[in-house]
Amino acid sequence: MPERIRRILAWVVTLGLAGVVGWGFVAGEPSETDRVLALGERIKCPVCQGEAIVESPSETAEAMMDIVAEKVEAGETDDQILDFFTERYGDGIRLDPRFEVRTLLLWLAPAAALVGGAYLIWTRQRRAKEPA
Amino acid sequence: MTSFLGFLGTWVALLSAVALAVRGFVALRRPGQATASSLAIPAVGLIAGAVVAMGALEIGLLANDFSVEYIANNSATTTPFLYKMASAWAALEGSLVLWGLVLAVFTFFIWWGMRRLDDADPLWAGALAVMGVISAFFFLLMATSSNPFQVCTEAGSFGFGCASGSWQPFAAASAPAQGLGPNPLLQNHPLMAVHPPMLYVGYVGLAAPFSFAMASLLIGEAGDRWLRVTRTWTRVAWIFLTAGIVLGGLWSYEVLGWGGYWAWDPVENASFMPWLVATMFVHTAALQMRRGVLQAWSYALVVATFALTILGTFLTRSGIINSVHAFTQSEIGPMLLWFLVLILVGGYGVYAARIQRIGSAPRIDSLVSREGMFMLNNLLLGVFAFVVLVGTLYPMFVEWATGDQVGVGRPFFDRMALPISYALLLAVGIGQVMPFRKAQGRVVWERIRTPMRVALAVAAAWAVLWRPNGWVLGAVLLSTFIIGTSARHLWVTARRAAAKRGSNAAGEAWRALRKDSAYWGGMIAHVGLAVLALGIAISSNQAQHTEVDLPLDQPVDFAGFEVTYVGSFVDEQPNRIAVGTNIEIRRGDDLLSTLAPRLNEYRIQGRQIPSPAVDTGLRGDLYLALAGTPTEDSVRLEMHWFPFIWLVWAGGFLSAAGGLWGWLARPPRRARAEDKEAARA
Repeated sequence: MPERIRRILAWVVTLGLAGVVGWGFVAGEPSETDRVLALGERIKCPVCQGEAIVESPSETAEAMMDIVAEKVEAGETDDQILDFFTERYGDGIRLDPRFEVRTLLLWLAPAAALVGGAYLIWTRQRRAKEPA
Repeated sequence: MTSFLGFLGTWVALLSAVALAVRGFVALRRPGQATASSLAIPAVGLIAGAVVAMGALEIGLLANDFSVEYIANNSATTTPFLYKMASAWAALEGSLVLWGLVLAVFTFFIWWGMRRLDDADPLWAGALAVMGVISAFFFLLMATSSNPFQVCTEAGSFGFGCASGSWQPFAAASAPAQGLGPNPLLQNHPLMAVHPPMLYVGYVGLAAPFSFAMASLLIGEAGDRWLRVTRTWTRVAWIFLTAGIVLGGLWSYEVLGWGGYWAWDPVENASFMPWLVATMFVHTAALQMRRGVLQAWSYALVVATFALTILGTFLTRSGIINSVHAFTQSEIGPMLLWFLVLILVGGYGVYAARIQRIGSAPRIDSLVSREGMFMLNNLLLGVFAFVVLVGTLYPMFVEWATGDQVGVGRPFFDRMALPISYALLLAVGIGQVMPFRKAQGRVVWERIRTPMRVALAVAAAWAVLWRPNGWVLGAVLLSTFIIGTSARHLWVTARRAAAKRGSNAAGEAWRALRKDSAYWGGMIAHVGLAVLALGIAISSNQAQHTEVDLPLDQPVDFAGFEVTYVGSFVDEQPNRIAVGTNIEIRRGDDLLSTLAPRLNEYRIQGRQIPSPAVDTGLRGDLYLALAGTPTEDSVRLEMHWFPFIWLVWAGGFLSAAGGLWGWLARPPRRARAEDKEAARA
């Protein structure tokens, strides 16, 4: 086979594979997240040492997991269920903090660090290139 | 007796540490005196004292010497042998003894390494002096606020445990008849005997690189020498820290009953942050050795790594953060905080004062190069460490500033860690093929072409066959790409050498792996990371879970298995009563195994701990935990299916093994010299 045809073929195959993978990203079945477990990870066990209710073997946590399961069964949304517990136990019960004034720094700090770090590397590099 | 021996050991170690610090620092001023023999007595005294202290504690535990407060409150006559040993680090005071021992051992090996040098050497003497300061601090804690050898002067109620103690080794003891035993969670799995010591060696071992960095700054000697030793010690600590973290994950998976191995608990974070920064340093050190850049940055990283270990100790030992791992006692909090301030001010103070003299000019030709990828590595890992730090401290910060409670837990960390991790995987895959100095598109393309096609083919097949979600597919794509670029690199290196020498390629590959072990150790660690990522992605995204009431002898289908409750049993052991069930697992007609998830009730504490049972297979783990006390005719069971979760442990240990390879696989010095000779000829 002439070199040119081989190269074109390789490209066609590569692009074809990339197409299939791209399709895979779009068409992949979303994993069946167990909503009860997922919610259990977002609610702190009030009587434990900083564990989520899904992790703790304590009776309180198990009772709360049962409430979560009932509410999921009854068709309540995640937010409704989280609000239910927040009303009773306060904001500290949420392990997944809301985006609000108090948590502004928490949510923005990582992005700021990324941008700041990248900027630092970039400017140092520019300075190094300039003739001294 | 135990108290006295422990007291003696603690004080011998404390005084030796102080002597080591003093003599070491004096030697810095008079470099001629900085010989190993002048530091022999304090170095040997330190380890002797630490060994005596640890030995006293272990012997006391094994001999049920409840005249010691710590032993009375953390062990019992009915505690099995292994857990008696492990009780030494099951609570705050005892864990400090292990801490001190690890410090002493590292100090001793540094001194041993110094002995092999011919002459006086201020760098090594300075490092020993800094190790002396750190050791002195920890043995001071043991001698004062957190003394593990306090004599029990008042037995607890009903003769259980100890109500109060005295620091005086000869105080009249009033030993209780029985001890309280260790926390039930900590005597439920044998990994408790392995995970903490392993982790401590890594965690505490990070003091050694810090000491060399400080010594190098203090004597103003930059260059390759400090970097070489610092890198070696960091790598040693890194290996143990990596293995310790993975073992910790395995422990929580096997014990906690919900199948989790990582919960972003503050203590886990405390070990993960130094790991991240140490990993950054291992990379910049490799770059600096090759290209001489980033010298100042390397110092900053080493200081940060050690400061993070002390911060982590403060967070988890002072009682200001609630966590499963945290020990509830707050007396040593202020002392640790002061020590942290000392490390930060001292470390960065010396750094600021000296760095002008040693800082190397950035001499990177282009960011599109291996050097640029090292920068990206540091950026991503640095941001990762920062995220973990902010997330861990934020609740404290908010409570202090506003009095409100804000919970920051796993959902937050997961959300942040995911994009960083995928970016990191991509950076690893591309970084390994980037040429130094300035990358030319043609060269990079040549190197990634085949691995990229292989990765695409594997991912395409995976997508068609199993229809995974995007997270899994992404992990498959990036992980195969990393494995592919590493394999291709080895293959090309071996083939080139084989063509040159006319030997066979497999032999040359082995030769290359050995000869340039630091480099290939890194590649092995990267492959481990890829395997780990694959394991995490698959096992978490494709897990299945259900909670069922299982009637006796009536099979239930779950994840392709047939699960049947065939009976219960009660197993009376000295320290606990295990209520268990026998669950048969079948696929088709084959009986795969009989699992026995239990509830362990610890007699003294009266606490019930569910103890899950796991059937591990190549395709995944079937994980069963009791969700209630079983009755004759039914049992409530939590069933989890974690596909390919063994990849998580395999990948983690492979990474640690990569570090080990880099450290130990180099041929002995003489063979290397002959090699060089041959190359010259």
